[in-house]
Amino acid sequence: MPMLDIKNLTLEMHSSEGTIKALDKVNLSVSSGEIRALVGESGSGKSLIVAAICGALPTEWTLTADRMSWNGDNLLGMSAQQRREVMRREIAVVFQNPQASLDPSATLGEQLEESIPSEFVQGNWFWQRAQHRKKIAISTVHKVGIKHHKHYLSAYPHQIPADIGQKFMIAMALVSQPTLLIADDPTRGMEPTTKTQILKLFTRLNQTRSLSILFVSHDLLAIASMSHTMTVLYAGQTVESGRMKHIKKRPLHPYTKALLDSAPSFRKDLPPKSHLPTIAGSIPTLQHLPIGCRLGPRCPRAQRACVQTPVVRKIHDHSYSCHFPLHMEKL
Amino acid sequence: MIRILARYSILFVLTLLVLAVMSFSLAYLFPGDVLANLTGIVPANDEQRAALEKQFRLDRSYLVQFFYYMGDLFSGEWGYSFTSGIPLREEIGIAMPATIELATYSMLMALVIGIPLGYYAGMRCYSSSDYIINTTSITTYSFPVFWFALLLILVFSLQLDKAPLSGRISLLFDVEPVSGFILIDILLSDLENKRLAFKDAMSHLTLPTIAIGAISTASIVRITRRSVIDAKNQPYIAAAMSRGLSGGQIFFRHILRNALLPILPLMAIQITTLITNTMIVETLFSWPGIGNWLIQAIYQRDYPALRVGMLAVSSLVIMLTITVDMFNRLIDPSREKYEHAAI
Repeated sequence: MPMLDIKNLTLEMHSSEGTIKALDKVNLSVSSGEIRALVGESGSGKSLIVAAICGALPTEWTLTADRMSWNGDNLLGMSAQQRREVMRREIAVVFQNPQASLDPSATLGEQLEESIPSEFVQGNWFWQRAQHRKKIAISTVHKVGIKHHKHYLSAYPHQIPADIGQKFMIAMALVSQPTLLIADDPTRGMEPTTKTQILKLFTRLNQTRSLSILFVSHDLLAIASMSHTMTVLYAGQTVESGRMKHIKKRPLHPYTKALLDSAPSFRKDLPPKSHLPTIAGSIPTLQHLPIGCRLGPRCPRAQRACVQTPVVRKIHDHSYSCHFPLHMEKL
Repeated sequence: MIRILARYSILFVLTLLVLAVMSFSLAYLFPGDVLANLTGIVPANDEQRAALEKQFRLDRSYLVQFFYYMGDLFSGEWGYSFTSGIPLREEIGIAMPATIELATYSMLMALVIGIPLGYYAGMRCYSSSDYIINTTSITTYSFPVFWFALLLILVFSLQLDKAPLSGRISLLFDVEPVSGFILIDILLSDLENKRLAFKDAMSHLTLPTIAIGAISTASIVRITRRSVIDAKNQPYIAAAMSRGLSGGQIFFRHILRNALLPILPLMAIQITTLITNTMIVETLFSWPGIGNWLIQAIYQRDYPALRVGMLAVSSLVIMLTITVDMFNRLIDPSREKYEHAAI
């Protein structure tokens, strides 16, 4: 049974022009011990899904789901207190923008120390506990690859480079020893060497502590190297999801294929200095979403049936929602 | 740290210099004869005029005159009042603390009532209690201060007879001025009925303090509320919530400080309004402060008094504004980004 199980998650925003479905029947599940990649262009709603899972959405938006459960408990039906406990002990989130997600008026050390759940801290007196807190903070900071802990723990968020900020966000997420880590574009703005370091850290944590990771990114190369399963998102709809190697080998949805084709590292037959294949147009804005399959207007295989939203179809553990999938002639 | 202090002291000195130039040029901007304005004497003949011009150095260039003016200011020779003949320095020394006292109590009232109310309204924004607080504060803020003070006099002094109409303390009590602050002076004095004197001074203080404080309170409530709402909507609060911190932790560790930081410079701007309001209310309550004193000087065309009084009041305002801004600069870590001081 998956740990995090989301079925038909719909997020409606109310505006003067009526309601907009920013997320439309999104399905997502993360099993214990797996790294699940969530892929999509900017504006496809990846960060909204993350915010929906951790309950950080503005209250004026309506969130409905057929099922949104964490280890069998319904996340939407929980009280604020229970939800908080889950977020404190079991789920940890690394947000996209470290500079904005860190309190500008507190040092990084203070912010890291307050994220340590109190049961990890030993000692009876407050000074012993403060000392132990500090020790935990330093060891966590080392773990994510920050060497000068003395300097950075007493620094303010505006004094540090962006990649250190991102590492701190990861450290703050890991310090509560969660079972699921949601990483929203954790390697953005990092150099390749630091990026590799972080990805290695994630892989190691996944293998040694069986930490499940929901890895949100558009860095296909990083995803392909470390994740086990993948969910592709387009304009708030889940397009395809399944095991990484199946999707890579034979994508069923035209969008997934276009996405994989557009990454040069997956193409060995690409002649030098040639254009990368793309699909025409760009991702629609929330105000002008097409009806039915949202890829419709851009899809090379679109036909009349595409004005109706395709139902999710499944072949083993590979699910897709398309009326005219690729490679089906062979199957 | 030293660079910040140096920068603010330079700013302070330069602003004071500009003020001194303006105060100096006032003698030439007042209507009438410059000599008569400065000395209060209309010279009878040309010899006396020449002698006076030599004494007040009006025969020298403006730059030399300004130089001597600055010298006089620093050595404490601020001239004499036409009307009382007392050195202006003594008169201001008595009137200024009375104004500062009134302004301080009003500011304290505004801080003690305004900030908690603002936090309360901000934390429950768009609820009915927030609407009540906000409506009240907007209404109070719209009152003209002189009208509100008159209303207080009308209701509490004339109708209900609960508070005295004017003055600082009943004439029965003879309090030796030591610090200039009436409440402190009473505590320091050796009157046998200290308690009664204190009570009397308090009853004199209440109405003017409320008249000035209500308007400052209203604006501080509004500033605080806005700042708390802004802080609440920051992404780092959402991030802290998703880390599972409790409501108390989020409020005390993250919202409290971040909401307070933008309030401080706005409070520095409030100081100007506060002093102006104090000077208006003083006149209404016949409070022997600098505002009342300046108005009297205007009535009597006491030009030296006006000149020095204006300099004293503006120096006070500038000093407070720059101090608050510097304090804010020292405690706000994220303002290191901005290289230049801004007033």
